[in-house]
Parts: sequence; structure tokens; C-alpha cells
Amino acid sequence: MVQLRPRASRAPASAEAMVDEGQLASEEEEAEHGLLLGQPSSGAAAEPLEEDEEGDDEFDDEAPEELTFASAQAEAREEERRVRETVRRDKTLLKEKRKRREELFIEQKKRKLLPDTILEKLTTASQTNQNKSYLAVRLKDQDLRDSRQQAAQAFIHNSLYGPGTNRTTVNKFLSLANKRLPVKRAAVQFLNNAWGIQKKQNAKRFKRRWMVRKMKTKK
Amino acid sequence: MGEFKVHRVRFFNYVPSGIRCVAYNNQSNRLAVSRTDGTVEIYNLSANYFQEKFFPGHESRATEALCWAEGQRLFSAGLNGEIMEYDLQALNIKYAMDAFGGPIWSMAASPSGSQLLVGCEDGSVKLFQITPDKIQFERNFDRQKSRILSLSWHPSGTHIAAGSIDYISVFDVKSGSAVHKMIVDRQYMGVSKRKCIVWGVAFLSDGTIISVDSAGKVQFWDSATGTLVKSHLIANADVQSIAVADQEDSFVVGTAEGTVFHFQLVPVTSNSSEKQWVRTKPFQHHTHDVRTVAHSPTALISGGTDTHLVFRPLMEKVEVKNYDAALRKITFPHRCLISCSKKRQLLLFQFAHHLELWRLGSTVATGKNGDTLPLSKNADHLLHLKTKGPENIICSCISPCGSWIAYSTVSRFFLYRLNYEHDNISLKRVSKMPAFLRSALQILFSEDSTKLFVASNQGALHIVQLSGGSFKHLHAFQPQSVEAMCLLAVSPDGNWLAASGTSAGVHVYNVKQLKLHCTVPAYNFPVTAMAIAPNTNNLVIAHSDQQVFEYSIPDKQYTDWSRTVQKQGFHHLWLQRDTPITHISFHPKRPMHILLHDAYMFCIIDKSLPLPNDKTLLYNPFPPTNESDVIRRRTAHAFKISKIYKPLLFMDLLDERTLVAVERPLDDIIAQLPPPIKKKKFGT
Repeated sequence: MVQLRPRASRAPASAEAMVDEGQLASEEEEAEHGLLLGQPSSGAAAEPLEEDEEGDDEFDDEAPEELTFASAQAEAREEERRVRETVRRDKTLLKEKRKRREELFIEQKKRKLLPDTILEKLTTASQTNQNKSYLAVRLKDQDLRDSRQQAAQAFIHNSLYGPGTNRTTVNKFLSLANKRLPVKRAAVQFLNNAWGIQKKQNAKRFKRRWMVRKMKTKK
Repeated sequence: MGEFKVHRVRFFNYVPSGIRCVAYNNQSNRLAVSRTDGTVEIYNLSANYFQEKFFPGHESRATEALCWAEGQRLFSAGLNGEIMEYDLQALNIKYAMDAFGGPIWSMAASPSGSQLLVGCEDGSVKLFQITPDKIQFERNFDRQKSRILSLSWHPSGTHIAAGSIDYISVFDVKSGSAVHKMIVDRQYMGVSKRKCIVWGVAFLSDGTIISVDSAGKVQFWDSATGTLVKSHLIANADVQSIAVADQEDSFVVGTAEGTVFHFQLVPVTSNSSEKQWVRTKPFQHHTHDVRTVAHSPTALISGGTDTHLVFRPLMEKVEVKNYDAALRKITFPHRCLISCSKKRQLLLFQFAHHLELWRLGSTVATGKNGDTLPLSKNADHLLHLKTKGPENIICSCISPCGSWIAYSTVSRFFLYRLNYEHDNISLKRVSKMPAFLRSALQILFSEDSTKLFVASNQGALHIVQLSGGSFKHLHAFQPQSVEAMCLLAVSPDGNWLAASGTSAGVHVYNVKQLKLHCTVPAYNFPVTAMAIAPNTNNLVIAHSDQQVFEYSIPDKQYTDWSRTVQKQGFHHLWLQRDTPITHISFHPKRPMHILLHDAYMFCIIDKSLPLPNDKTLLYNPFPPTNESDVIRRRTAHAFKISKIYKPLLFMDLLDERTLVAVERPLDDIIAQLPPPIKKKKFGT
């Protein structure tokens, strides 16, 4: 019958086993972080004891690195801090770059605009132009205003006279009465005198010229 | 009276612009009317419905809303996005403030009169505070999805109803947030593709909101719960306007078919306290859309696209049933738009944006009374003068010799010199007119065409000397109290100038000595026409209540004839005429005759004949020649009235035997109006 060695509890036992030669001060800490240090599975719980025994015997000068938990932690923290620092520095550098670029743009724009004095005059002058005979208007504003006004007028026209409204011509409206008289009469605007205006004007001019010619030949 | 040849002129193509908004002011009993060309006119309803002031229009101004605020201040807002205040004393626009919301569709003054609410194209409702000299933007209410077309305050000033497209919102004034949103049916109990536009809303003090929309419905909503209470379908077309009386027991709506409906709050049964709104009276006084209505304590006022302004006094509100309770329709202008050059037989017609100069035709034929003589030479359209700029022409005049034409807009004064060679006419503009002549209310040339008299809207009266092609400013009279709306009259010998328009009365100035000669005592009705007679230098003044006075300028007192007329009083039919007298003229050889006309009659007053009393027939038709002389003498009286030519816009004596009468038949005006709503009549 094999007599099993008493199996120690996981954390403290292995920790103790591993820190036999090492520091005893941070035992408790390492006890907390035992699991972090990658506790091996139950099967391997027996190994450290075995290893220890074996290490003690055979690998005296090739002992594994004495990487204490604290040191590793400190190192990790250093790394993090370093990374944070670099990121912060990068950010500030980028911000600086952006700021400089903005300023450059503002400078360029300022160079493009008129000097401040003229701009001031314009802004104050726009309020006091009632008495003068001219009116200073910004074309961009005026275009927008005109287009909005036209859209509004189109809306009103559409809703009153557009499709769907029941409108009729004035001629038809006034002629309704004529249609119902006992003796039916013609429409109010029966004749369309607006046809051939150019033709009529030409004819008039020709007639005048012909008369003048006739008078001349008679003489 | 004598025989006259009459030039009947019908080629003045005068078309007034349609009425867009009216606003009634209760304290001063005045009505402000704004037209589609931007003109705003003020009518004094207690002075026999006379147009006492007007503000000329502008092409870019499309007024959509007009309202009175406290202290007799008039505001208007339009599609150019600006709120304008009008100065009623100086007759100009005080300022125009941009509301920055796009085109403004509606405006309403708070019941207290100290705040102004504006509904804009972008769906925002803006609140402005009215300060003593300007208005100031206070805040925006919650923005809505579509344009706000109508606004109404609750009489307590705590809530607002805003009508938009397809819905009505109720706002709480303090917080500015929308409390209710009521969806309006597109069609009365049906489905329609066309959006329902809520043209008008009215908020009553018991929380009822009345809305009128483009589907022809009048709907009553309860603002506390946001639900529809009652719906009336009253027309097949849009119902475009609504106005509620101050006592909230009646309101009036106007439809696109030209009908105006009166709704009244009547008890359900004769002794119950429960009341309901009932449609009581329809009125058909318009042919086209009635875009605006107003409700004064005693009358319904409506105006629309057919350019008539109709006052319908309500019988139950009128105390005394006399002529004051009759229907009044204002169609023709209350001022003279035509001036005449007698020497060259020219007529100058004033339109909104241009002037037309015509030469009258001539005839060589003769005939007897009542004949129409054929023309040997047709009337000639000599000149079509377009004005520069978007502003309307305020006044214009042609000199009696025909060589000068002057007209004025708000910002500029134009003077032209005309040259006639044979049949041709050439025009030359006199440049560098002084700035103080602009915005003239009345322009007049002296009889010999050497002097020009200009009444500006600042109240000053300027005399300018004309010579050759140039001018020289002689003098400026500054009357004490300025009220503007001036009328001018100059004596034919050039010595006297009369100017009305101040509250002190008519001032008479001595032109040769350049000083004030005398002042005709003030009369409480405005002057509608003035003229000075040749030789006798009697100033004849016609007022809006149809009184005519004759004042002798050299004697500085009323003439005996005028005193007799005042003692006896005018005939009651004369006093009941609707339209004001717009022009007075005299016969050069007959000092006892005064020729005056209004829109529907012209009259020659013969001062040598006896005056009619109330029992005699005023409209004396031409007595047949086979009547005995005795009867003729008995029925003859001083007022020879003829109604042959009507509607008259202008009538004047060209020379001893010729008259010119410019008529404008109503059908010719209607023929040029926009299309009306179709009416279906059985059998057509």
C-alpha cells in the first residue's frame, strides 16, 4: 500500500512550496493572487511538490527565475504607466498640431476678408439707411428672401387657383344670367378683340402710308 | 344751362386692386384696408365712410395681415417677412422689422394691445413686445410642422389658437408649448386628396375655438379637451375669413363664392338659458372671393378680390332706422386720378405704376339733344410713361398748357417737359429734383403754367417757379398743425392758393406776397374737393357729409349764397348720396354756375335760381317743351342734376361749349378680375 503524502491545500501549499527559498513577506499577497499566477489544475497540484523535490535534487544551478509576484506586478504597472504616458503625449502633440493648423486657417481667412474698419462700417450702416436714397442689401439674403416669397406666393396661388379648385372665367360667370333670360342673349364678352394685334397695327400703318402716297400722286 | 358737346371717355382702363385685409378700430371708428398691391387705406366711418388717408403701395410688399394695437398704432405683416408700423400722423412708414421666420402669414395683437403675435412660413409663432417707439422680439413658441396661416388670442391672453394645414394647435402663452393639436378633416365626412387649409380661427372666452377652412366648413372645437364639438358645412368652396363681434354673440364668415354668412348665438327655445350658434343671414354682395371680414358693433364689413368694400349695417343693432342703416358699397376711388389740360385737350390718367397721356378725339358734326356724333378724329394715346422703381405713384398732374407733367412716389419726384411738333410729342426729364419734394400728396400747376405747387407729407407746401426747362424753389409754407392728406386749389388769376388737410381749416395763401391770407373756419368733416372760381375768387369747398360751402377770399367771409344754403339746408336726397364729390369746376362766362360731380351724378348749381326745399323734386328731369312756362318756373331750382353719365370718374369743362366725362363701367372692371368660383345654375 502506498502511503500518500498529505496533500496540502492548493493556494497556501503551492505558494509555500514555491516561495520556500524566496521571500516570506509577500506570502499573504501571493496567497491572494494565487489564482492569478495561474494555479495549475488539481492534477498538477502534486507536481510542485514533486518538482520541488526533484529541483532540489537535480536542478540546483538551473533554478527557474525567481520572479516574485510583487516584482512582476510592479513591472506590469510600470509598463502600463509608460503606455499611458506615451498615449498622453501623443494626444497633446496631436492637439497642438490641430491648434496650429486652425490658427493658420484663421490667419489665411483674415487675410482674405476686408479690414475690420470697413466691416464695422457696413454692419452699423445697415441699420441707418432709412433716410438715404439707397439701400445696401446682401445679395445672398435677398435671393433667399425672394425665393421664399415666391414659394409662398406660389402656395397661395395654388391653393386658391390651382388644380382642384372649381374656378371659371369671368366671361362665363357673367354670362350665366344671359343664358337664363327668356330671350337668350350672347355672352358678355362675345367678341374677342385681342386677336391679331400686330396684324391690325400693320394694316393701320399701311393705310396711313397709302393715303399719304395717294395725296402726293394726286398733287 | 346751355348746350354742351360731351366727350364721353371710356378708355381709362382703371382696375383697382383687390382687398386683402381689413382691420376695424373701435375707439376711433376707423377701418384700415390693405390691398393686394400694398396700398393701405384708412376710412373714417363716422365721416360718411370717407377715405381720409392712404399709404401708397410697393411692388415687393404682399400684405397678408393687418392689425391695430393699443394707442391707435397700425401694424402690417406680409410675405416679405417684415412687420411694418405705419405713422398715421406723418403718413409714412415708421419702420420695417424683419421677423426672421420667412414670409409672415398671420398676425394678431393681444387683447391688452401690448403684445404682437406673428405666424410664419417655417411654422414658428413669434411673440413681440410693443414698446412705445418700436417692437421688440420676445420669444418663439414651439415650432410646428407647417406654416401658421391664422392666429387668434383668447380674450384673457393666456392661450392662443393657431390654424395651419390640416390641423389647429392650441398654445399656452406662458410656457410657449403646444397644449393641444386638433386634426381637421379634409372633407366634411369624407376623404379628399386636397389638404385642408385652416384659413381663419377665432378664440372665444368660454374656450370655444371656431375654425374656417378650405373645405367649406365652420367648426366649433373645445380647447380644454381638444375635441370637435360641432361642424357646419356652409359652402362648396373655401371659407376664407372670420370675424367675431366684441360681445361674442355673433360672428361673420366670408366664402370664396362671394357669400357672407352671419352666425348668431340664439337661445335654443324662447325661454331657455342654453344657447347655440345658428347661421342666420346670408349676404351675396360680392362676385369673387371674400378674403377678409370685420365685425363692428353695428355692421358687417367685407372685402375681397372683386375690389368692393361692403358695409352691411345690422338692423337689430342700429338704433335709428334711417339712411345710415343702408348698405354701403365703396367701389370707386375717393380722390381724382385724372388731370386735364384744357388748352390742348389732353387727359393724364394715373395708374399704380405708369401714367397715360391721351388726346381727345374731335368731331365736325352737329346734332340735337341726345345725339351721338361720329368722330372725325379718334382719341390718340400719346404717351405711356412707366415709373422707375417698385413704388406706386401717389399723385400726378399735367399743366393746363400741356407742357409739364409732374408725379411723385414715396422716394422721388419727377418733372417732365413736353414738346409738341405737329403730331409728335417728345419728353425731357428735369433732373436733380430737390429731395424735399418727394412723397408729395398733391401736385398742382398754376393756370399760366409758370408755378408748381407741391404739398408734401411733412405738411409743408412748396412753391416752385418753372421757366423754360428749369425750375427754382421760391418758397415753402409750413402750416402750424400737420395732418397731411392735402388738397390744393389755385385761383385762375394766380393770386391765391388754398390748401386743406390741417385740423385748423382750409388755409388760403397769397401767392404774390408769399404769406398766409386767411383761414376758413374748421369743419368736422374732411374736405373732398376744392376749387376757386375765376373773377369772383370764391373758394368752393365740398365736404364728405355732402355739404358745400362758398367762401369769398377777398372778403374773408362766407358768401351770402352760402349762408342762405346753410340756413335752409340741403335737400335730404342730396345729403344721402353715397359717394363724395371729387371735382369742382366753373364756367368761364357764367359766374353763377358751379359744376361738380360724384361717381353717380353730375350737377350744375345755378346760384341765381331758388333753392329746393325738402318737398321739391331734386332730380328734375328735363321738362318737356310743351309744358307751360309757369310750371317750368315753379319746378326749376338751383340744382340741375344729370345721371346720364355714370359711373363718373372725372368731369370737367374744357371750354364754353364742351364737357369731358370719363366713365368707368363696372363690367369693364369685373372683366379684368381673377377667375371666380364656378356656380352651377339649373338650365345652363
